[in-house]
Amino acid sequence: MTEPLTPNKLAVRIAAALVLLLLVMFACSLIGAKSISLRTAFAGEAAVNPDYEIFIRVRVPRIILAVIVGAALACSGGVFQALLRNPLADPYILGISSGAGLGAMIAVVGGLNWTLFGRSPIAVFAFLGALGTVWLVWTIGRLTGKFHLTGLLLAGVVVNAFFSAVIMFLTSVAKADQVHATIFWLMGNMTEEDFIVLWIAAGCVGAGIVALFYLSPQLNALSFGEDDARSMGVNTARTRLAAFAIAALMTAVAVSLSGLIGFVGLIVPHGVRLVFGPDHRQLLPLSAIAGAIFLVAADTLARIVVAPAQLPVGVVTAIIGGPFFLLLLIRYSRRVGWFK
Amino acid sequence: MSGIIEVENLTFGYTLQSEVLENISFEVAPGTFLAIAGPNGAGKSTLLNLLCGTLKPGAGSIAIDSAPLQSYSIETLAERIAVVRQGFLPMFGFSVIETVMMARTRQFAATGFETKTDRKIVEEALQMTDTAHFAARPLGSLSTGERQRVFIARALAQDTPILLLDEPTSFLDLKHQVGIYDLLKTAQIDRGKTIVTVTHEINLAAQYCDQAMLLGADRSCLFGPAKEVLRCEQIQNVFGVNVATATAGKQQFFIALGKLAKNRPPLRDSTPNSQ
Repeated sequence: MTEPLTPNKLAVRIAAALVLLLLVMFACSLIGAKSISLRTAFAGEAAVNPDYEIFIRVRVPRIILAVIVGAALACSGGVFQALLRNPLADPYILGISSGAGLGAMIAVVGGLNWTLFGRSPIAVFAFLGALGTVWLVWTIGRLTGKFHLTGLLLAGVVVNAFFSAVIMFLTSVAKADQVHATIFWLMGNMTEEDFIVLWIAAGCVGAGIVALFYLSPQLNALSFGEDDARSMGVNTARTRLAAFAIAALMTAVAVSLSGLIGFVGLIVPHGVRLVFGPDHRQLLPLSAIAGAIFLVAADTLARIVVAPAQLPVGVVTAIIGGPFFLLLLIRYSRRVGWFK
Repeated sequence: MSGIIEVENLTFGYTLQSEVLENISFEVAPGTFLAIAGPNGAGKSTLLNLLCGTLKPGAGSIAIDSAPLQSYSIETLAERIAVVRQGFLPMFGFSVIETVMMARTRQFAATGFETKTDRKIVEEALQMTDTAHFAARPLGSLSTGERQRVFIARALAQDTPILLLDEPTSFLDLKHQVGIYDLLKTAQIDRGKTIVTVTHEINLAAQYCDQAMLLGADRSCLFGPAKEVLRCEQIQNVFGVNVATATAGKQQFFIALGKLAKNRPPLRDSTPNSQ
């Protein structure tokens, strides 16, 4: 966008995006392997009403889950792209994916079967693995000298490769049924969650998005490089640490809920940036909403395309997202004057 | 002391390397236009980075407004000093006005949106640098000269008493070079800014600057009024090149002469580097 952002303009756009999100959520809640009618769903006694059961216990929680995960991934993807000043960055670039994968694998191979707040050991270990890996990469990145983006990126890539190798090793020694469970998790998979889990996750992600919005003027300045941002009075070290920590935490929450859903965190912020411009005050909230819409739609397709079986949603995001993003890229990049 | 910038016995060396700057002292009075020149590697940009706090001195002290540089936080220093570095183009395409508005980040970060005051200051900076008519264009679509003016507009919008610039005219043609210096002179005279610029354009420095500094690769440092510092022998010494001089009006100009230059005038005996 060429004109500077005003609060009114931003509020209108966010409101419009939210209305669109609600419409998509509503439409997708009516679509599924079994057709249900809202009238019957809310007509009778819950205990004997299959339509009500499907709507409230299956579809609604799953759609809310998709909203949370999509928003978290898209928003944190935008933040990682800003912090690393790299268009290839996504939420997984600093090793979160392999760390979470390793955590999940350890839980599966270890044969753990307890629960924590209704979460399986896979989710808990994935969460811890994700955060532990980001911390490890961050620490290595700092050791490479005065904050060096290249050092940080390389540390992320290498840690990713190393942990992926460990995952493959564990896969080769694990039992077949264990391997299947992990592979499905690694492909990104939505399941029905308890409402309590959803509310906690929604609270974390919502708070993260709001906090990131208040960091976005500083993120804008950081786009011009460390030195320029500091001369403009931005405490770059504090901004970067806070933004990294929040984005990593949001990603870890998303990953522990749904496994590794690729592509959302890469293409949604790019798509929003191509259409609405790079101002992070607008980019981050709109990316969050667009990511939610995208993942709700993708998950609905994953539910119905091969019904009654289901596809891993990660497959759908990549297959739809890729071509859609390329169209956006061709349509808008010339106007934005990116590649000069 | 009365300088807005006071540097005393400043010494700095990058690790694994001998000192780049050694025992440098100078004082810049408020409202002065100072040019820092010298050969590549003499430490011009290093000095600039020390003055804006990006680098920490190895020894010696820097004071801004009589307070030691290290007593400023990032935020308070940004109220005193604005810096124009050699045009860093961000990856994502911000527009001109968005770029200039970022100078006000410190003021509006708490609410997330700029106030009327911020908008007015940015508007003035755009007018002054003659960039208002392309304010809506993305930075990447501008020519080098236009982009340099945008970065100067951003520094002006920061509304600081001190402006530091690192080679603001590199890659610019003659017209744009004098355009930038006219702009800086206006900022100095109309706004009373103290301007310190690193430059390779000795003749522009001679025409526009009050004070000059010649930094040598041998860690020598000449500082004083531009007329006294920018002299033929001294320039020859510091740059290690033969220099011819001529005057136009009252202004003295310096031209470097290569060995194979056409119509090369005879060199004077005083040249230390004559072959």
